[in-house]
Amino acid sequence: MARFLLQRIITGLVTIFVTTIAVTFLIHLVPGDPVRTMYAQSQGTTPEQIEEIRQRLGLDRPILEQYGAFMGRLFQGDLGQTIRGQQDVLSILVERIPNTLVLAVAAMLVALVVGVPIGFFAAARRGRLADTGLMALATTGVAIPHFWLGLLFLTWFTVDNRWFPVTGSGPLSLVLPALTLGLASAAVIARMTRAAMIDVLSQDFVRTAEAKGLRRGVILRRHVLRAGLVPVVTMSGLQFAAMMGGAIVVENIFAWNGVGRLAIDAILQRDYPLIQGFILSFAVIVVTVSILLDVVYAFLDPRIRRAA
Amino acid sequence: MMAVEAAEPTVEVAAEPRRRSLLRRIVRQPGGAFGLAVLVLLILVAVFADVIAPYSPTKIGAGPRFADPFGAYLLGTDDLGRDLFSRIVHGARLTVLVAGVAVFISMSIGVLIGLVAAYARGIVEMLLMRTADVIFSFTETLIALACVAILGPSLENAVIAVGIAGIPYYARTTYAAALVETGKPYFEGAAASGAGVFRLIFVHLLPNVLPTIIVVATLGVSMAILAAAALSFLGLGAQPPDPEWGKMLSDARDFFNRAPWLMFVPGACIAVTVLAFNLLGDALREALDPRARR
Amino acid sequence: MNIRTKRWGGSLLATAALLAAATGASADEIVWARYGDIDTMDPHRATSTLSLQVWSLVFDTLLAVDATGAPVPHVAESWEVNGAGTEYTFHLQDGVVCHDGTPLDATDVAYTVNRAFDSANPSVTQASWGPVTGVEVIDPLTVKFMLSAPFVALIPFLADSFSSIICDSNEGVEGFGTTAAIGSGPWSFVSWTRGDRIVLAAHDAYQNFGKLAENPGRPHEDGLVITVVPEPQTRLAGLLTGEIDIAEPPLDDVPTFETSGELRIVIAENTGQNVFWEFSIHRPPFNDVRVRQAVAHATDVQTALSLVYGNLSIPEACPISRGVFGNNQEFCLAHGQQYDPDRARALLADAGYGPANPLTVSMLVWTGGNRDRLAEVFQAQMADVGITAEIEMMDIGTMNARVRQENETPTGRGTFDMMTWSWYDPDILYALWHSPGAYRGYTSPELDGLLERTRVLTDPAEREAAVQAVMAYLLEKAIHVPLYTPGWEWVFAVRPEVEGFFVAPFVYPVFSDIRL
Repeated sequence: MARFLLQRIITGLVTIFVTTIAVTFLIHLVPGDPVRTMYAQSQGTTPEQIEEIRQRLGLDRPILEQYGAFMGRLFQGDLGQTIRGQQDVLSILVERIPNTLVLAVAAMLVALVVGVPIGFFAAARRGRLADTGLMALATTGVAIPHFWLGLLFLTWFTVDNRWFPVTGSGPLSLVLPALTLGLASAAVIARMTRAAMIDVLSQDFVRTAEAKGLRRGVILRRHVLRAGLVPVVTMSGLQFAAMMGGAIVVENIFAWNGVGRLAIDAILQRDYPLIQGFILSFAVIVVTVSILLDVVYAFLDPRIRRAA
Repeated sequence: MMAVEAAEPTVEVAAEPRRRSLLRRIVRQPGGAFGLAVLVLLILVAVFADVIAPYSPTKIGAGPRFADPFGAYLLGTDDLGRDLFSRIVHGARLTVLVAGVAVFISMSIGVLIGLVAAYARGIVEMLLMRTADVIFSFTETLIALACVAILGPSLENAVIAVGIAGIPYYARTTYAAALVETGKPYFEGAAASGAGVFRLIFVHLLPNVLPTIIVVATLGVSMAILAAAALSFLGLGAQPPDPEWGKMLSDARDFFNRAPWLMFVPGACIAVTVLAFNLLGDALREALDPRARR
Repeated sequence: MNIRTKRWGGSLLATAALLAAATGASADEIVWARYGDIDTMDPHRATSTLSLQVWSLVFDTLLAVDATGAPVPHVAESWEVNGAGTEYTFHLQDGVVCHDGTPLDATDVAYTVNRAFDSANPSVTQASWGPVTGVEVIDPLTVKFMLSAPFVALIPFLADSFSSIICDSNEGVEGFGTTAAIGSGPWSFVSWTRGDRIVLAAHDAYQNFGKLAENPGRPHEDGLVITVVPEPQTRLAGLLTGEIDIAEPPLDDVPTFETSGELRIVIAENTGQNVFWEFSIHRPPFNDVRVRQAVAHATDVQTALSLVYGNLSIPEACPISRGVFGNNQEFCLAHGQQYDPDRARALLADAGYGPANPLTVSMLVWTGGNRDRLAEVFQAQMADVGITAEIEMMDIGTMNARVRQENETPTGRGTFDMMTWSWYDPDILYALWHSPGAYRGYTSPELDGLLERTRVLTDPAEREAAVQAVMAYLLEKAIHVPLYTPGWEWVFAVRPEVEGFFVAPFVYPVFSDIRL
């Protein structure tokens, strides 16, 4: 198991390493002169000042040297300053990331709490009306865009009915964004859970247990659920990454003060230091979460546990 | 932008593919029939948009502002008095184009990567597939956002971004399917008889992984539609006056009180289209998978 | 589809109370919601209206403006200019106190100016101070600005929040602009949660000498919370539930509330905002004056405005808008191009464009504020005379960069853009059109000469004539084609129980008089 985890951690570090290279080159892929693009709104920037900024950002040096300098600053926790307002990028991100994580975790909870029981129930009733109905619902759920669902929720539950506050960052304000983000994933998780359960149900040990005369309910709960959850956990890792992506859209609808809203503003304003920092922090979060889930996975799957 | 359904639908092709009955096998499933019907309708509407739409989608003042639906204007009019039905119809054309081009980009590059990786093995395989894994872990949304950040917001760039973001998905599924094929006797035989690299990959490998790719691509269309609509919704995709559904939805937010249908209709169009492609993909998989036909 | 049934109905009071408890708003706090956030509290590091509006609450300025937008004394009770117009001496009011309790005097003014001209990190708006070479503290209540050349626009600049006086106790303070900002304005800075809210508290020792407000001292309410709520419908919902006191409403819903009286609508006047066409002028097709004039003749501003903004905005004939020195509708109308599609077609044909040689250009537009809709209407108007204009929406910062880039690129498709500028003085025309020009756009020695005169003439009548000469030049050559005013963030919806809210010229909302 240690070896398995070590391997995952190394893969994760490679991912982050590749990301640092990507974000360094990002600025060079921009059409036109990036410095000019960034600083054009500062009044009366002279060519000399532009040159000075270029030197300060190190953009006049060879690219490898730039990368070295970027990494050097990165290790000191310096992600540079935003173009607009010249604020420290790292501290802005540190301020906002917890909000996005809270939203993603809450949405993940919604997805699991709604998705797993539906999938499990559907699998247990495979081929019956309940199964068909639930799966039709799940298939529809996957197809509904976040941004549409979010807007409908927003208008119905806050504007028309006023069940939830329209602004703020309290627990009540979290409900609608988490539901919006979680429901689509719940549909995916329900489908995955169902598939995994059916797979397990067809395996030999279930037949053996049935032959031994164990009650079906007991088999389902004790054996099938546990074995079936293994692939669900793995898939949840990917779902979480998707959730972080979806958060970008949902935050923009519900004025949730996370990195997603920040990212869209940064892209529209071409605030490259901020975009770089955002992508990098996103990479760190996605990698960390997937390693954490691998640990859970390793505990759940006896084959890996035994390999220790 | 959407929930990624990562279960890779590897399809085992039946020993004797009876292509003629494939269509029948799809239509026999309710989901497949629905999906196919929507697909055909979408393509018809896209092709004949100019004939079907009573007005130009950009014609300002085709009617009064905010005319109610089911009156003189089938789906009502928007804030500039443009006919919503005409915009939706032309939006179908954009949707087909966007999805088609994006999927073409992801598929052509992704499939090539997957095939080469499965064939070459060793260091090439590791490099290609590790890179794909790394990119895949970022989810489509972020990759698409990064691409738009570099290229700048426009519909063309959004299509490219969505196309690039989808590459790892196709690479992985193709790779998985091709890996199975390379272990089969027919492939080993062909390789042993001295067939060239090009021949091995495109004549032997490709046709045999094609069913898998078709299923993946069908599901991929729905992802591309959602992703492109989401980019447009965020203002990073379609530019006015493009009647792109995601953009129309985004524009309609301001008028929700006066004209809720402006928001409802484009959203429903996206949902139904995505649903149709998902159902069609599922049906295709079942139709192509001999295990499912037991 | 019965989505509208429960519109604004329901048990309002109970929910409102619950929400107030949930969000922590108390009765003596004013809540003002805006679509976006400030960039920084440091007045030398940003240019956005969103930032300026907040600085105007926290910082004082030497001068203030009256209801027409003209400069009047404020922290400086009087000032003198030497004959050459190169030395300005300001006499400060006694007893002005910074939020940390230290007195505001000449050294604070000197600190601010020196900071703006700091060679290592100058203010982003350094150019607007003009040719200031130094500042001298004569005594605690007297400060002298030295200039290398006459610069009349210094006076209106010192009335704008770009020139906010930063108390010298900020020197060396960790996090100035982010976690700290000491000024002497009516509200003191308490905290800023980026992307979410700014919390301000009434400044007990505040004295109002010249700013527009009836209140001579401390604001009536204890606190002011400025929140960020990007969705217009969400802001509206907040207004209706009472979570928010003041906010920009969805513009399309304004007539509804004006008639129902549920919310009061306050429209800013004398905003100085000018929305205009400008062109990539150094290459075809817009290097041809006829093509530029054709665009101007093809534009029906009034129709577009009434379609998109109702009666909330009006056409503007001058390159500097109502409320700014030198604005004169009649004069500008006589020199500019009026809506005349036939004339536009004729000009285009004359320039060699028509069905055989169609003209396709790009139209650059700033996102937000329904400007995309306006652009769509203008696009249709262009199409009417045979110009295909493809719209590109972008952030204002990106647009500034792009416009300059287009002017510096000798080849490519023609572009024109719906530029937006707000300024308190005709000196903006100098910044825009004196060589090399803010966007490297149209310049000529003749225009340079006309613009230079507007900076040095101290006699108002002479300066007005000089400004008019510039405007006539810009209008006749269709270099700066004015469209409308105001253009952004100028409509406020206010809850009925909020009394005393108004917006000073150049879109500075005032909260000192408010009683909840």
